[in-house]
Amino acid sequence: MDLTATAHVSKGLAASYFDGVTARAQAATLRLVAGDLILTGEGFERCVCASDVQWPERTRYGLRVAHFADGGSVQCADAALWDAWRQYSGQSDSWVVKAQQSWRSVLVSLLLLALLGTAVYQWGLPWAARALVAATPQSVDSSLGQASLSAIDESLMQPSELPLDEQARLSAAFARALAAQPVGTVPVWQLVFRKSRIGPNAFALPGGTMVMTDEMVTLVGADDKVITAVFAHELGHVRHRHGLRMLVQATVIAGVSSVVLGDFSTLQAGVPLLLGQASYSRDAEKEADAEAVRILQAAGISPGVMVTLFEKLAAENKPAASDRKDSVDSTAQSSWLGIAFASHPSDADRIAYFKQAARDFQEKS
Amino acid sequence: MYDSFSKAGVQHSEAHHLPIEFTGSGSEYFRMWIVNLLLMFVTLGIYYPWAKVRRLRYFHANTLVGGEPMGFHADPKKMLKGYFLVGVLFALYSAAGNFSALTGFLAFVIVAAIWPALLKSSMQFRLANTSWRGLRFHFKGSVGGAYRAVVPLFVPSLVILAAVVGVDDANKPPVWYFASLGVVVLVTLAVFPWLLWNLKQYQHNHYALPSLQTTFKATLGSFYKLFLKALGVLLLPIGPVAALSMGVVLLGNSTFFFNATSRSAISPAMALTFLFAGFAAVATALVIARPYFTARLQNLVWTRTGNVSLRFISDLRFSSLLWLIIKNWLLVILTFGLYWPFAAVAVARMRLEAITVKTRVDPDTLVSQMRAVEGEAAGDVAGDLFGLDIGL
Repeated sequence: MDLTATAHVSKGLAASYFDGVTARAQAATLRLVAGDLILTGEGFERCVCASDVQWPERTRYGLRVAHFADGGSVQCADAALWDAWRQYSGQSDSWVVKAQQSWRSVLVSLLLLALLGTAVYQWGLPWAARALVAATPQSVDSSLGQASLSAIDESLMQPSELPLDEQARLSAAFARALAAQPVGTVPVWQLVFRKSRIGPNAFALPGGTMVMTDEMVTLVGADDKVITAVFAHELGHVRHRHGLRMLVQATVIAGVSSVVLGDFSTLQAGVPLLLGQASYSRDAEKEADAEAVRILQAAGISPGVMVTLFEKLAAENKPAASDRKDSVDSTAQSSWLGIAFASHPSDADRIAYFKQAARDFQEKS
Repeated sequence: MYDSFSKAGVQHSEAHHLPIEFTGSGSEYFRMWIVNLLLMFVTLGIYYPWAKVRRLRYFHANTLVGGEPMGFHADPKKMLKGYFLVGVLFALYSAAGNFSALTGFLAFVIVAAIWPALLKSSMQFRLANTSWRGLRFHFKGSVGGAYRAVVPLFVPSLVILAAVVGVDDANKPPVWYFASLGVVVLVTLAVFPWLLWNLKQYQHNHYALPSLQTTFKATLGSFYKLFLKALGVLLLPIGPVAALSMGVVLLGNSTFFFNATSRSAISPAMALTFLFAGFAAVATALVIARPYFTARLQNLVWTRTGNVSLRFISDLRFSSLLWLIIKNWLLVILTFGLYWPFAAVAVARMRLEAITVKTRVDPDTLVSQMRAVEGEAAGDVAGDLFGLDIGL
């Protein structure tokens, strides 16, 4: 410590005192004696237990103010002198303050934050969401699913135009495929057909309702093997309760990003949510694909039927993009930006996965 | 109660100018922010009240009014209790909407019903824990006053209620039912300036140090005028951006515009174009219209706040704030968010230093009569979660 500063503060520190009743500053000398803060000034002396004082945290810039419980305060514009006095009087900073004052520890904290953040995002949050969802009763999924179905019906769907016996035939085919599954491993499910404004599509809702659009059935030529494969994929979402898991993960990401960025901007807090969700969603699709392969293999259907689906979907998209030199899908999704925002893995990756599964299937049979 | 002032006012009738100076530093706040984020992370958020108190203490201590710093005294432990309470409430509120429209609506009604009370206790807590020259501030607003301030919200609610009651068959709503939704939105927009005026009036009529209470003299008309101007500034950049992005889409490839046979109506490339166009429009609006509104509202609200012996003058220039916000956005994006604390400090500096306090009372003569009632810490946390930010 600076010797002159020590000499300065050994007799006490000159500060301004506000008594908490009047707003007039009074000159006071501060001394710390045996755990008490003693203030002496013209015509007054005050003694406060040092542990009842709200001490200022050391900062590189700015003045120092200590507050008393009754509303009074003492302040000193010379921060260096104040710090010297505190040190001389045997008081030290908390480790949080020490960490805040050193760029090295801030850098370490930043690295730790980045590492912890990645680890939590990669493993912690999915694990916690899985555990939370496992502890949530199935009825929550069902009511969530019902609410979403009625919302979707209102905005995007119309009643199916498929004949009822055709719907029954496709349902029966899927039920036959599931018959090969061990008892108790198949979640409750229900198939729903709808005419849609979103083109060929199929999706699973929490609680086991799986929706397929008429356009999807037409696209694959009502091939019950392909339809079964699509439903098997959707059943994977149901079995792993992806809907609820996504909800939990989205809520956590939104909460964390709004805490980190404070109330700076809701827009900025939304970007991590968008990016973060996309990656979780791709993982969920991979899980559902694996489930589809498992179900198809057990039912004696080649996972290769999924490849047909992708080819048909690609063929559907081709005319739309034919004026351009390449297919829209492949250009958009092969760029890193496309991947960052895409909710599904790229079609090429998924086709490769199902082709491999089909080869394994042929070798076994 | 006032006589100590009236006497003082007579004795010191010359005006005192108290400039506001902000001495906070971006690098200092950056270090605090990182360490506190880490602590919040490893404590699963329990450290949040401590981090918040530290941040507020730092910002207060570096706000010098007439050369003397402000003080912030809240007890983080007290805030933690409120934090749990309100956190549970907020979790229930967020979850309720996912189950059914009815539970969501009920949760909304409950939160709406307690919101004014939370606003009052939040203001009370914040001000009672704020000091200047050793004197605590008070918030003198009543719970009744808070409920009266939100009266404008009943107008759109009445429209909703009328629509719900007027429908005979909920499964087959008539056409006007959907039109009434539009009416609700319009009415809500129309009453919003009135609501904000009421809230600002409620806040700015009840600040006191210690018995020197402020009054709020801005008129309702001035709020409507401000909103109309802000709307103009908002539409100015959105129009060209929207037109431009539409042009790009149409020129780029007109054949895949709502192609009925494609897998989905919107192809990924188009979705991306739309995403970026929408993002650009919203970002431009936020970057230009928000600073405009912030600057003009601050000037209006604070310049019209005062009493016989005390007034504030706020001279925050839109152009300066605009450049600062643009610079902040660019640097925040370029540094992946690490510039955020520097940006927060720079904005606080510009907004605070734009204000001057003019008083005919010598600040030295202010005398405290009583201790402030502290109010509930729960209110303060509710402020964070339910969006009742006290602001400047």
